[in-house]
Amino acid sequence: MFRDFCKKRPVKILIVEDEPELCSSIATYLGGENYVCETAPDFKNALDKATLFDYDCIILDLSLPGGSGLSILKELKAMEKMDGVLIISAKNSLDDKVAGLTLGADDYLPKPFHLSELSARVAAIIRRRNFSGSNLVKAGPIIVDTVAKSVTLQGRPVELTRKEYQLLLYFMVNRNRVLSKNAIVEHLWGEDLEGNVDFIYTHIKNLRKKITDGAGGDFIKSIYGMGYKFTAE
Amino acid sequence: MRLLDKYNRLGILAAICVLLVGGAVYYVSIRAVLTRQLDQSLVVEEQEIRDEVTEHGQLPEASYSDEEQEEYYPGSATTPRRFSSVYVGHVHSRHAYFRQLEFPVNVAGAWYRAVVRKSEEKTEDLIELTLKITLLIIALLLVALFAINRLVLNRLWRPFYSTLRKLQQFNLAGGQAMQLEPTSINEFRQLNEAVSQMATQAVDEYNEVKHFTENASHEMQTPLAILSSKLELLHQTELDEAQAQHVAALAGTVNRLSKLNQSLILLTRIDNRQFAGKRSISLAGVVRAQAAHFEELLLARDIRLSLELSDSGVVDMNETLADVLVLNLLTNAIKHNFDGGSIRIIVASHQLVMSNTGAPPTEDPQVYFERFRKGSARPDSLGLGLSIVKKICHAYGFFIRYDFTEGEHRVTVEFPRPS
Repeated sequence: MFRDFCKKRPVKILIVEDEPELCSSIATYLGGENYVCETAPDFKNALDKATLFDYDCIILDLSLPGGSGLSILKELKAMEKMDGVLIISAKNSLDDKVAGLTLGADDYLPKPFHLSELSARVAAIIRRRNFSGSNLVKAGPIIVDTVAKSVTLQGRPVELTRKEYQLLLYFMVNRNRVLSKNAIVEHLWGEDLEGNVDFIYTHIKNLRKKITDGAGGDFIKSIYGMGYKFTAE
Repeated sequence: MRLLDKYNRLGILAAICVLLVGGAVYYVSIRAVLTRQLDQSLVVEEQEIRDEVTEHGQLPEASYSDEEQEEYYPGSATTPRRFSSVYVGHVHSRHAYFRQLEFPVNVAGAWYRAVVRKSEEKTEDLIELTLKITLLIIALLLVALFAINRLVLNRLWRPFYSTLRKLQQFNLAGGQAMQLEPTSINEFRQLNEAVSQMATQAVDEYNEVKHFTENASHEMQTPLAILSSKLELLHQTELDEAQAQHVAALAGTVNRLSKLNQSLILLTRIDNRQFAGKRSISLAGVVRAQAAHFEELLLARDIRLSLELSDSGVVDMNETLADVLVLNLLTNAIKHNFDGGSIRIIVASHQLVMSNTGAPPTEDPQVYFERFRKGSARPDSLGLGLSIVKKICHAYGFFIRYDFTEGEHRVTVEFPRPS
């Protein structure tokens, strides 16, 4: 009974973001991942919710009307709350990043970001925070062990390169989503790789071949002009 | 040349000139006075001779001594009366100069030329003594001047040197107000006031620029984040092919815009020296990490990467900027390469050399380091990568050079060994 409760317990996320449009975009995207999203548009609201309730992950904008997100972080730390925290900040300053991570934030994502990247980071935080040992990400016959960084297809291990592994995991946590080539390139190589991103085709082709060979099905669809989509089930 | 030395040199030179001229004037005037005195005593002698002639109708006895001489020669009425200085050879093994007066004298109808002489020896002695004293005074004055300049000026100018040192050590990014030594000298107090006012103003403006940069980044990036997120949501909906293409084009443009914004912010921040904090960084380590990052990308394009990394390549700089420097050079080398080409990275004790195959440059390579200049007409390149590299090099005083030889682009960064 209790185990069932644990299993079914929805993943709760608090989105602290003062920009309503961005807030709603994040909530819409993450809502599709079966997360329960709550939002807080200002400092006071955010502090109240963060201190009163438990969340699996708090997405925290640092510059809020009424105060700094860092203060909320300090408060959580003082209360020894275990919520995962992902800082999203437009302030491109290194100080914020260092301060945030020192205060116990799990990750830092500068704006602007791809929603798929945000979703991948949130998923990683939740996996790390989850003590029920759920380090396995599954999709159909594909199982990724995020601790051992290994992949099995229909129970058989498959050798992937580092980038292929990152690519597969990125697809799996963003399943049924169309991922643009830019988002994929930035996930794999960071923000700094400007220029033509068509080379990503080679990586996807290789990964697709390995999965098709091992799992007997093509899970990655090319969406004309837009990017790629991973579907399982 | 230090101000003090310059001052010393000028002061001493002026002192020497004044004293030399003074000495000469002194010499000439003393000599004139003494000569006049001698001449007057010669006139007295002349009068005595004339008196003797008038009284006794005969010339006095000729005399000849070291001090005084009287001689008579046959003469005429036209014999001129004149003073002169004469040299009479050695007396007591010294050069003997005499002042003499010649004059005509009539003794019982016969004309004589009388000559009276007096030794100038005493005069010479006096002048010599005067000169010696003058020289001694010059020497003493010079020593005194030098000592005064050393001691007093050094002390007087100390507030100035202290302010200068503070100015040299002044760091805008440090954010600390300048602490200047108080001084009782008006000029220096005014200088200090002006300097600290300027420093305060510079710090204020620097902070303003810094905040503007951060705010600009914030203000630009939030709308960009909204745009990009809405487009991504639009991606997930059912679109027909034409709509999908429009959305993809929009997403690509927004992506470019946000990268452009980030690059510009990075450039401004380097410009504003907002990357404080140096530490010793092994370039070999940075290159290895970045190269590993692109391993599979290089493989996909069949680009061969060869590394010659020496652990002696150590630079004192901000860690983030070291990463950006290597990353930008490397992505540049990948971007402007042929499929199947090669990249070579050398890290030595004082330089980093990155060379890659690629099409020859189409214009003066120097312009690649300028903002928004691109070698190719590729629309996906921002042309900011190399100007960021240049800016970083400039900020740390590194020397950067580009050349194209034997079909290879080569960028060389030379850095000083850490102290």
